[in-house]
Amino acid sequence: MEDLNIIILFLFVLFLLLGSGVWVGLALMGVAWVGMELFTNRPVGDVMLTTVWSASSSWTLTALPLFIWMGEILYRTRLSEDMFKGLSPWMAGLPGGLVHTNIVGCTVFAAVSGSSAATLTTVGKMSIPELRKRAYPENMVIGTLAGAATLGLMIPPSLTLIVYGVTINESISKLFFAGILPGLVLAAMFMAYVAVMSRVSRRWNPNPEPPMTFGERVSNSRFLIPVICLILVVIGSMYLGYATATEAAAFGVIGGLVLAATQGSLTWKSFTESLMGATRTSAMIALILAGAAFLSLSMGFTGLPRGLADLIAQMELSRFELLMVLLVFYIILGMFLDGISSVVLTMAVVEPMVREAGIDLIWFGIFVVVVVEMAQITPPIGFNLFVLQGMTDHEMGFIAKAAFPMFLIMVLMVFVLILFPELATWLPDNIRQGPG
Amino acid sequence: MTALRRTLDFVYLASGVLAALCLISILLLIVLQMLARWTGEVAPGIPEYAGYFMAAASFLAFANALNTGSHIRVSIVVNALSQGPRRLLNIWCFGIGALIAWYFVYYAGRFVYWSWKFKDISQGQDRTELWIPQSFVLLGAVIFAIALTDHLLALIFKGDHRIARNIEDQSFGE
Repeated sequence: MEDLNIIILFLFVLFLLLGSGVWVGLALMGVAWVGMELFTNRPVGDVMLTTVWSASSSWTLTALPLFIWMGEILYRTRLSEDMFKGLSPWMAGLPGGLVHTNIVGCTVFAAVSGSSAATLTTVGKMSIPELRKRAYPENMVIGTLAGAATLGLMIPPSLTLIVYGVTINESISKLFFAGILPGLVLAAMFMAYVAVMSRVSRRWNPNPEPPMTFGERVSNSRFLIPVICLILVVIGSMYLGYATATEAAAFGVIGGLVLAATQGSLTWKSFTESLMGATRTSAMIALILAGAAFLSLSMGFTGLPRGLADLIAQMELSRFELLMVLLVFYIILGMFLDGISSVVLTMAVVEPMVREAGIDLIWFGIFVVVVVEMAQITPPIGFNLFVLQGMTDHEMGFIAKAAFPMFLIMVLMVFVLILFPELATWLPDNIRQGPG
Repeated sequence: MTALRRTLDFVYLASGVLAALCLISILLLIVLQMLARWTGEVAPGIPEYAGYFMAAASFLAFANALNTGSHIRVSIVVNALSQGPRRLLNIWCFGIGALIAWYFVYYAGRFVYWSWKFKDISQGQDRTELWIPQSFVLLGAVIFAIALTDHLLALIFKGDHRIARNIEDQSFGE
């Protein structure tokens, strides 16, 4: 790379704009502009508009606001009460007891919402006070909640995976299905950890649950069952090829509205709040995507992606070594940047590298998501930690420490994923061909 | 002054509501498409229309999302600073942001103008004259640029912008 100085200048601008706190989407646009001016003679402004317009008006993108909306609707129902009441009778008998409601609750709500903070608040709102009442160890309650809420990114619908799919032009349905098994395995690993801790820990001394008959259990979870049915319909319609991701999302919105209406929680206020919330959030992501589209075009002109891919090829890193390098890279990046921004910011550079190394891009999407999830429960800016701080009034240090075992479990998950790539690739390979 | 304030706030809110209507339109279009497919009808151009509404929904909501603190920024440095330096850094952020936004607006204006002048037509089955959906992107960008400038001026003359960070909305980026 002969113009190394210019590349350094380009990267400097990138760090300056992002680091100083310019909104991510706008910062990416600014950096891209600098790159275009430095490396090409093209009419930058006009190219910018063409790129941003085609990226923003894409049909694939419409899945994004609809899935967000579906989550927002269900978030405003009485799901959080039903979740604890419905799940706890079934979990009481397991070793580890009601702490499992945190994990299973997060898994279920992850299939409704693509946001981990929403997952966290929905599940935690009921489970934290209830578990405290029963004298479960506080660090387990907080830790499992922080960890399991990250499942929201993996289990479909996952906003990060939609963004990843749009960025590298891969099928969103396939990515969704790639996330299911690893998500469930990760949940199982969290549960296994809870079960082991409940036997090992000396502080584990919760009050026992009163026994319940099968009929009572079912009646307690009767409100939860429709939600689970909705999830199955949304995911199943994609898997069986009846619907594209966007259409499944539309199903989800309508189903969510019907559910909320039958529960009596659909008011004009909750409807408009959910709609405006979805509009704002999807605009937030759209701004990042618009900036990222322009940046990846500009990156191409800088020669940076090609150069790095060649460099990696020269170093003859094995696939495993490359993945380890990327693992560390994403963990560090994730300490400062949110998941979606780190994905879109890096994909222009990382994609050629990963293709060169012969790594399956669907699989890699799941890998990236797991790694990005870890960042949410690591300081300094782990989002889940912030949300939990607001909910529990604990100090950041305590929450981070409680969540640390979950971080280690996720690292373990990365290696499981590398050892058994079929976890991510088997379902999408066997998906029924859909309408497009 | 208060009249101006009220007008601006109304414009931000109104564009947000318009964006929400676009979102509802996306939903209706997609339902329409599914109904059409199941009944064996053809409904040409629906993916394109949904795309236009997507772009409009995004751009029209930018300003509203800015005001509610939903847009993501790396706030680690900003939060670490004390009052005075933080204000300067925020002025830099809003300044750069407004600059980029107005630059975008200028070229968006040209973009729409040329689409209109040359009667650019969509490549898809919808045969839409592209300047129509593109105008909404321009409109949204203008309102967004005004909002950024609005906050910048408030920062300079009143000492603070009026945005509180919205963790719940931002968490969707994770």
